[in-house]
Amino acid sequence: MRSMAHIGAALTAIFMLSPLVILVIFCFSESPLLAFPIEGWSLRWFDKAFSDPQFTNAFRNSMIVTGAVGVTSTLTGTLAALALAKLPPRLATATAAALSLPVMVPPLLLGVALLTFYSTWIGLPLGLPAVILSHLVFTQPLVMLMISARMASFDHAAVEAARDLGASPIQSFFHVTLPMIGPSITGGTLIAMALSLDDFLVTFFTIGGGMTLPTLMWGMLRKGIDPSVNVVAVTIMGLSIAATLIGFRLTRYRG
Amino acid sequence: MRQALRTASFQLLPGLAILAGLFLLPLSYFFVVSFWQVRTFRLRPDATLEQYARVFTEYGSTLAWTLAIATLIATVTAAIAFAYAHYCRFRAGRFGDGLIFLSLVTLFGGYLAKIYMWKTILGGTGALNSALMALGLTSGPIPALLFSPFAVIVTLTHYCLPLAILPVYGALRGLDDTAIEAARDLGASGPRIFRDLILAQARGGLTAAFALTLVITAADYVTPLMVGGPSSNMIGLFIQSQFGNRLNSPLGSAMAFVTIACCGLIVLTLSLTLRALTRPRT
Repeated sequence: MRSMAHIGAALTAIFMLSPLVILVIFCFSESPLLAFPIEGWSLRWFDKAFSDPQFTNAFRNSMIVTGAVGVTSTLTGTLAALALAKLPPRLATATAAALSLPVMVPPLLLGVALLTFYSTWIGLPLGLPAVILSHLVFTQPLVMLMISARMASFDHAAVEAARDLGASPIQSFFHVTLPMIGPSITGGTLIAMALSLDDFLVTFFTIGGGMTLPTLMWGMLRKGIDPSVNVVAVTIMGLSIAATLIGFRLTRYRG
Repeated sequence: MRQALRTASFQLLPGLAILAGLFLLPLSYFFVVSFWQVRTFRLRPDATLEQYARVFTEYGSTLAWTLAIATLIATVTAAIAFAYAHYCRFRAGRFGDGLIFLSLVTLFGGYLAKIYMWKTILGGTGALNSALMALGLTSGPIPALLFSPFAVIVTLTHYCLPLAILPVYGALRGLDDTAIEAARDLGASGPRIFRDLILAQARGGLTAAFALTLVITAADYVTPLMVGGPSSNMIGLFIQSQFGNRLNSPLGSAMAFVTIACCGLIVLTLSLTLRALTRPRT
């Protein structure tokens, strides 16, 4: 019974991890065929992908979207989290639940609803600005939730002490509040950016003609066999996992 | 106090503006569109239930199939997530944190990349078939691994599992060891502890894991498109195509809202069942 549990957990861990490991292995494989055994190692797919102007263009677009989404959702999410700490508990719970609603809607529905809204009602042209606005909807709640979690164990007496000693609200924010919640803000930002970078469905419907890394990858997958797609996939995976890991580290998030 | 509330409402303003302007308003508009019609390639305001009728008559069997496979995937995923979280919380000792960390790493590993990797793993020359042949379990590649409902189930379970582990583990972490010891000291049996303490504690997390997986799975179209094959058409494919080549957003909207409503009903049923199962008894 006990060994069954060990084996089950190990198999689950292998199941979760193996596709990611296999992807990394294929990236460095010489052969264009995605099959085992690996006959030789090379960096040719990295060369091929990185010298493709479509890749550089998609990479730049992804960085623009991710950067803008990161900055904006951090501002709005942090402000919301600060506000929640001031509200009476019941109102705070209700507001947090309302702001988190978008997380519970499947991305396909969000994507097609925003597409319809932009193009047939408000006449917003599809493109990077539309993608950035759309990503804010599902990244803002994440930043808010991660900072709120930190604020729950926040020592309000420190802020009150600063205020009693004559600090202005702005001084006490920058000298007391910010240093305490700073790591959580950075962490929340990085996780919001990872989510934005990896998003395919919402981006696909709101970008119009342009490309980000996931929509470039989708185009390559639809066209057929080009092993440099592995490199695009690994770039997205590497960047988002790195951002998440640093993010979780900073927020000391544990489950 | 009043001053604090005023500051708070100013601070909430940008967040609420995003929620209202980019979520509530677009979604309400999109819902209204489901009662409209497309005539001569133009969207025309109307008040018709025609699209909803079409969802049930033309796409009824696709919807039922989608909900069935999504329920199966959500059940399997929630069960594996519970087993894994239970192991990490109660059995793994000092490795528990590491195993949870591992699931967190795979959480953001790339949506398209995961689906695409399962396509290569399950393919004719893929890792799974090669391994099975190398072990001598089969003589040739099993073609049914890819382009089948099985491939859809494996791929989506893999995608949703880390997401499902988080809420279950979060719920189990809230359970105090002393409560279990107290129950054991008072003579409660293993199964009794499992049902009345552990399952009762994990209920909220389990429901969240199930709901999250169900909704993501029922509205996915990339997975059935990439690994599903012709027999596993899911409603997401048809929703998506109303905004691509078929250009019928009212029908697409009606499909999406019917799917979400059905998912809501399934989650409600599960949540009531779990509540009845774990109701405290005297």
